[in-house]
Amino acid sequence: MDDTLEIDNLAVSESEDELSLEQMIEVIEEAWLNEKFAPEILPHKTEIVELLLGQITHMEEQLQQVSSTDFKKGIHQMELDRLKYLVTSYLRMRLEKIETFFTLILKQEQQRTEKNEEPYLNPNEFEFAQEYEQSIKDHFESIMSFCPNVMDTEAQIISPNVNSMIILKSKKNIEGITVDDGNAENNDLIDLTSGSQILINYNSIASLLKNGDVHLI
Amino acid sequence: MFAEKACNLIKELSRNEGVLPPYNMDLVKEVCTEIKLLDEQNKSDGAAVANESGIANYSNELYPTLRVGVAAVKRNVRCLMAYHYNRLRTLRTMRWEFGSVLPPDVKANLNSNEIEWFSKYSRSLTKYMMSLGDEGLNLGVNLRPPKSLYIEVRCLVDYGKYELSDGTVLLLKKDSRHFLPRSECEELITQGVFQHIV
Amino acid sequence: MDPDEVEFWAEKTPIQIIPSFNSQTMFLIGGDIGPFRASIPTRVPLWMAIHLKKQQQCKIIPPDWLDVEILTNVKEQEKDNKSFVKMPSEHYMVEAKLILGNAADDIPRVDEIRTIIKDIWDIRMSKLRSSMDLMIKNSSMYAAVDNLTLMEMNSIRPILPNALDQIYRMKTIKRGLTGRTQGTSILSHSKSTVSFNS
Repeated sequence: MDDTLEIDNLAVSESEDELSLEQMIEVIEEAWLNEKFAPEILPHKTEIVELLLGQITHMEEQLQQVSSTDFKKGIHQMELDRLKYLVTSYLRMRLEKIETFFTLILKQEQQRTEKNEEPYLNPNEFEFAQEYEQSIKDHFESIMSFCPNVMDTEAQIISPNVNSMIILKSKKNIEGITVDDGNAENNDLIDLTSGSQILINYNSIASLLKNGDVHLI
Repeated sequence: MFAEKACNLIKELSRNEGVLPPYNMDLVKEVCTEIKLLDEQNKSDGAAVANESGIANYSNELYPTLRVGVAAVKRNVRCLMAYHYNRLRTLRTMRWEFGSVLPPDVKANLNSNEIEWFSKYSRSLTKYMMSLGDEGLNLGVNLRPPKSLYIEVRCLVDYGKYELSDGTVLLLKKDSRHFLPRSECEELITQGVFQHIV
Repeated sequence: MDPDEVEFWAEKTPIQIIPSFNSQTMFLIGGDIGPFRASIPTRVPLWMAIHLKKQQQCKIIPPDWLDVEILTNVKEQEKDNKSFVKMPSEHYMVEAKLILGNAADDIPRVDEIRTIIKDIWDIRMSKLRSSMDLMIKNSSMYAAVDNLTLMEMNSIRPILPNALDQIYRMKTIKRGLTGRTQGTSILSHSKSTVSFNS
């Protein structure tokens, strides 16, 4: 087998919390699982997504110079396919949530800006969400144009069920999680040890998820 | 009965999940007319029922009629919105299946507002995809976890010439079989040109 | 999650192979792999092992647990225990399926292994069904699922979470009803001329 193929990875700047490429992939893998199972949209991971996409492009460019008969090309290609699936699938799940819950998501983003909190959408997602909202509004207005006063302004906003049940894995020892079990008075407290897995409602652990203390599976 | 026609719009939706039957202009118009008539009726009933400060007087004999009228308008509006909204959702899914150009048979079933919405959505989506990475990222491919580099496909239509990314040109005839890199076939599979042979 | 997605995650698991070729270290984005020396075992992700195996460029060394004696022991423990036993691998089902499906010639007593794994799965599924039943009967709102593997969790989705979501809704509605004072909700029609006041 010849060794003509010399492929390397782009140097990654040290400033990005000094994550290695391998760790960045792990971050997106975890983000994929979290986005898959969380009922609401989660804070974006744009910096890491962009770094990985840069790496993918760099690898694709290098591979173009490699003969298709080199068996190593196939292995690199397979890795690229896996990474591209991971990233595109993650971004698609976010878009689907944006399209389903746009009114609520835009309202929450507005509230975050007012409170000086970090937004959950990146600027491009935000722009997409605004355009999507506008297109739906325009569509409804033209349908109801025959009778402009009867638009149902109190229509319920489509919102995710933040009480839905999820399964999580704990990344550290956590004490005293209050389980909202639907009854007002007797809320149980539970402790988690690192690595333990529980089925619980999303609302009880949403803040732990956003802190990165637990992840969904 | 009030809102019966509107309810038929909803029944039409649930009969046709995932596909788009012709836009039901006639029924939509009838529902709109019903809403308009009810709304006018409600306004005049409302004026009769209200006292000087605009508060409804329950003891007025028109009061129950007014409540029913208001509820009927609400129901009609909800059904109308649901009909149109769910058609947009199906149309949205089709953008992911067919790309930015709709097949003529689908397009023929849309009304002009829907065609306009589709092109707006398509534009926003393309703009978003172009913003990803340095050169944009097509989110319409890599839809499934990759299994192997090459897959066997059967061509379902007489497609003609098709150029692969390395420049090779294939002649795609109906029922011809090909062994191709998965990444090269994916779009043609979603468009229904190829069938993946498992 | 669908089965392809579960497989995608399982394919990351590292596994030992004996390559039949020589090659320098490969710099993959996800980390360095190799160097490969013919007949010297090395560790690669499962997806790569399967890919190389398909091209007859390696032998797969099965993980220690993919063995009749060890698995029989696991099966006995699973039978004797009321709760779920910790599995020797987080993805035992998928790993076994992929390795046995692609490298049956590298593994002794393939058929026996298949049967035992199927038995273990069945025992665990039956435990899972009775636990689900119990959870719903007790309306429990959380449960430790420590030793369940991803594939097993997937088998209770979406039925169990969805059922519990509904139980939660019923509980909160009941809570809301007892806490709220009597009174009809106010129906107001947003822009019509009257407002109702109860």
